Amino acid sequence: MNKLNNNIAIVLLLLHFGLYSQSNNRAIARQGQVSFFSYTSVENIEASNNQVLSIIDQQNGKVAVRVLLRAFVFKKALMEEHFNESYVESDIYPELIFDGKLIDYDASKLGDSLQFIKGTMDFHGVKKEIEIKTNVAVTNKKIVLSGDFEVAIDDFKIKVPALLVPNISKEIQVKFRFEYSPYEK
Amino acid sequence: MRNKKQLLFTLSMFLFVVFNSSSQELLDILESEAPKPTLYTQATFKANRILTTQSVETRKKGTLEFVLGTRYWNIPNNDNSQSFAADRFSGHLASQYAFSDRFTLGAGITSFDGIINGFGKYRLLRQTIDKKTPISITLVQAISYFTRNFTIFTLPEDSSDRFSYATQAIIASKIDRNLSLQVVPSYIRTNVDEPVSNKNDFLALGFGGRYKISNHVSIASEYGFLFGRDEGSDEGFNLFSLGVNWEISDLIMQFSMTNAKGFDDIGTYKINPTNFNFRQGSLHIGVNATYVLHLKKRKPVLIE
Repeated sequence: MNKLNNNIAIVLLLLHFGLYSQSNNRAIARQGQVSFFSYTSVENIEASNNQVLSIIDQQNGKVAVRVLLRAFVFKKALMEEHFNESYVESDIYPELIFDGKLIDYDASKLGDSLQFIKGTMDFHGVKKEIEIKTNVAVTNKKIVLSGDFEVAIDDFKIKVPALLVPNISKEIQVKFRFEYSPYEK
Repeated sequence: MRNKKQLLFTLSMFLFVVFNSSSQELLDILESEAPKPTLYTQATFKANRILTTQSVETRKKGTLEFVLGTRYWNIPNNDNSQSFAADRFSGHLASQYAFSDRFTLGAGITSFDGIINGFGKYRLLRQTIDKKTPISITLVQAISYFTRNFTIFTLPEDSSDRFSYATQAIIASKIDRNLSLQVVPSYIRTNVDEPVSNKNDFLALGFGGRYKISNHVSIASEYGFLFGRDEGSDEGFNLFSLGVNWEISDLIMQFSMTNAKGFDDIGTYKINPTNFNFRQGSLHIGVNATYVLHLKKRKPVLIE
């Protein structure tokens, strides 16, 4: 029994060292881009944020994203104020957080491909499961994830006053692009 | 010996758990990596003015605003009035431009009292959302040029005496997401003896507040106390206004009840012939509409 315990301990230790070296397989995107678009016949609203943080674990395909809502830049300063103060209420919910995983991820077969990410988007106090189609590109061992998807503002309890319903699209188009480089502490 | 092995076993199990990359761990890394930019408090007040007096707020660089103000009131003991809706009307037309995020210049003209007014505003200190800077300070220099007699005011002979000045330091704080308050120590210099007799220099203290009742509507109020005034005599009354701010996209509507007839920065503090109440001749109802135009649009870097 002692012998067995000993062996298990050694195996686990080795496994741990293996994992430890793999933890360097994390890659981070510090200047990820997220843009969103709301096009209606009355008004076009566009905004971008180029300071989005994202991290990917190349071992298990897990992806996490944090978007600081105050960092979105709009064409009009007043739109930015309204976005933060009256719509996403960034004083209460300062961030959008996404936590997900590439579906059927195989680290050994990582290459240019079209894949799906499934995960939870935590935005405006609402957590919702979403599935996003993403483009994976690998150049010089750097991974780039990009793609677009739509967000229904009703799903995230963002209220639009009746008078402004024609100005704001019910489905907001979101585009993203993350360029990852190896993460070192 | 056995203890040592058990310790080794537990330790390996523990390390195994620690180094398995969990989602939470990834999120924690991002948290630690997140830059902590200095974010200034937004929307302490909704417009350059609370209702009639200056607020701590200025617009962002390149923003041009047009203001159309109206005020309606009845004259007392005028039961046989043939006027439609109200006996008296005053209109105010103004414009202000933000040369930078901190500096704004504005000018306007009012129909009833004929006052032409101008002001410069400078944001000295801006409140931050982490409350490291808990207050905002804005300095205001305002000037009014009087052009005619009205109510208790008589126009001086000498044209250089027709200028009045106000210097203000607005100290404001957005206490929480709904409540904003401001205190405004002011110095007013006039070259006219009237209506507060035998004095050219005044100290005044303004107060302002905003309470947000929904994402687009807030209640606003202001009070202006003029030191050295004998309230209730011919010297007039202190300013009080109560109203609602409503914003619709690029337009801000400010509905107000007040005892001020004027729209400029000196008249509102100094020349209010009636007190705030609901009697005929005292209640002034007004609407200010401010249209916001962005002359310098920023260019978000969008993904193609």
